[in-house]
Amino acid sequence: MTPARTFGPRLISGLAFGVMAVFFVIPLIFMIVVSFYQPDPMGFYKVDFVWENYAKFFSSFYYKVSWRSLYSAIFGAVLVVALAFPLVLAISDVSRKWQLFWIILLLSLMCFSEVIIGFAWLILMSESAGVPRFLEWVGLWADPRSLSPSFGAMMIGLVYLGFSIVSLILYPSVARRDRSIEEAAVTLGTPPAMVFFKVLLPTFRTSLISVTLTMFVYLLGVFVMPTMLGRPKDWTMTVIISDKALGDANLPLGAALAVVMLIVTVVVLLISALATRGRQT
Amino acid sequence: MKTTTSMAKIAGLLMVAGTATHAEELTISAWGGFFEETLAAEIYPGFTAETGIEVRSIAQPEDSTWMTQLMAANRAGQAPADLSLVVDEVLYRGNEVGLWAELDPANMAGTEALIDGYVKLNDAGNAYAVGALAFYTTFVTNTDYAADAPASWAELWEPQWDGKLGIVTTPNSGLIEVTAKTFFGGYEIMETREGLEEVIAKIAELKPQVSLWYRDEGQFQQSLESGELNAGLYYHDVTMLSIWDGLPVASTFPTEGGIVSDAYWVVPAASENIASAEQFLDYMSRPEVQAQMALTMGVAPIVPRDSLDLSDEDFAAVSSDIEPIRVQTHIHLREGDWLETKYQEMIAQ
Repeated sequence: MTPARTFGPRLISGLAFGVMAVFFVIPLIFMIVVSFYQPDPMGFYKVDFVWENYAKFFSSFYYKVSWRSLYSAIFGAVLVVALAFPLVLAISDVSRKWQLFWIILLLSLMCFSEVIIGFAWLILMSESAGVPRFLEWVGLWADPRSLSPSFGAMMIGLVYLGFSIVSLILYPSVARRDRSIEEAAVTLGTPPAMVFFKVLLPTFRTSLISVTLTMFVYLLGVFVMPTMLGRPKDWTMTVIISDKALGDANLPLGAALAVVMLIVTVVVLLISALATRGRQT
Repeated sequence: MKTTTSMAKIAGLLMVAGTATHAEELTISAWGGFFEETLAAEIYPGFTAETGIEVRSIAQPEDSTWMTQLMAANRAGQAPADLSLVVDEVLYRGNEVGLWAELDPANMAGTEALIDGYVKLNDAGNAYAVGALAFYTTFVTNTDYAADAPASWAELWEPQWDGKLGIVTTPNSGLIEVTAKTFFGGYEIMETREGLEEVIAKIAELKPQVSLWYRDEGQFQQSLESGELNAGLYYHDVTMLSIWDGLPVASTFPTEGGIVSDAYWVVPAASENIASAEQFLDYMSRPEVQAQMALTMGVAPIVPRDSLDLSDEDFAAVSSDIEPIRVQTHIHLREGDWLETKYQEMIAQ
């Protein structure tokens, strides 16, 4: 109505854009610029414009590691959502008091640092103190071996990291869902066990896909779990980029690899957006 | 190289922001964890007592990370610390881009006590770094699982470890030099890329035995002490501390020698306290301070043996008379990305 009414929201959104520009776009531009610099093994880097850092990506090694990153992140994301969604459904059916308990528990899991979580799992999976020793004690495993490092150990770490986030994203809409549809399905003869597949999954399809994609991007950037719990052949691009940029102080190569991964991520997101768009009702 | 926690990295990043400008205070950084804590508790107070210059001790992260931070700070005209402890690779790369301030040997007469070559001169013939200490990387074992100390580095390749070795991921750990000296008769093979590939192929034979290729020393140490790992490459000084704590570990200098690394003190070019820093370097070079560092930190002194007031037993605890294996830094710098990528591919392929 009055100018002041419309000015306020604009100021706020303008501020948000400003913050985005300063904290996101500028570092991104800087990274792209550095990716064209000439690395100098004797010094640091020379300001230049060369494609050599990008050319290196197409050696078989980085190519292979990129695939590894993609499938670990996709597999991890699907696994997290597949585990978290049923849990959230179960939580939404218990009493208010217990719902609060679960939400606080999930929130508090997010307070731990990745390093602490990694160390905890390392000890849990070690043969001297963890689950293998316990299995030996109960007589289920005669010759216990450490369960990490392994692909499975890394996946457990990734699922642990993503679990709270996915649950808390899904919880509000799941808790507020219209239960009369499920009741109607049961009344019309759908076996209760099938309600999950016939009613709940289709209802939440869009949010499940979007939370899976969110998780995919998140897990693509995880560094600690692959290094602590994974084998060298599970190391992802994040690990390699950090080794290049920090370990070898080769910022241009690290930046170029990061830019390529960014492009790959955007392409994957675009493809999945296009693939799911047509089927929306 | 000697940091154990990410906290140190964070601390390092934070410290970039605040620099000391007061002349009577020096900000000195060292590898976070035991090194930085012991220097601050045992060594710096003697310097402060003598000169009245206060020392603010800060933790610095792993070498290359710290170098990256120093470079960025230098561009902004800042020095995160007035003095920093760096290994030779960082020393040379920093010198190449003019990261270090020039020092005047006339103001640091004490440095004459050091073994020759520990005062580093740049192309113009001016001093830019002073040796701080040396440390060894040795063949470490868990004595519960490996009762006999290994005699040769070749024993790393024996199948007895049952997949329980821990090895550093970076190519400058000294393992390339160990392999060259143990199996190829010396460092000459490292002069060509074909030779380096042969050495790396030999290291690749270790892969089935290695369950941990580590970046984080804390993870290796914890695994070795618990028996999760039975042997590997690790720092002699830290292992000696574990032994004194009664843990079942041993550190052995094999017949081919332990891997020695030198650490140097440098003054970032943007520091405003060069005169005080020179006083500090003068103090740290004295044989009695070198002996004190050997006793409290377990590091090897860099002054001649006869100038030290150390018993044979104390000396043997921190060093060895066996000719050490030395990381061929010039080759690592020359081959740079090629070598790093080859090595990383060998491990992670």
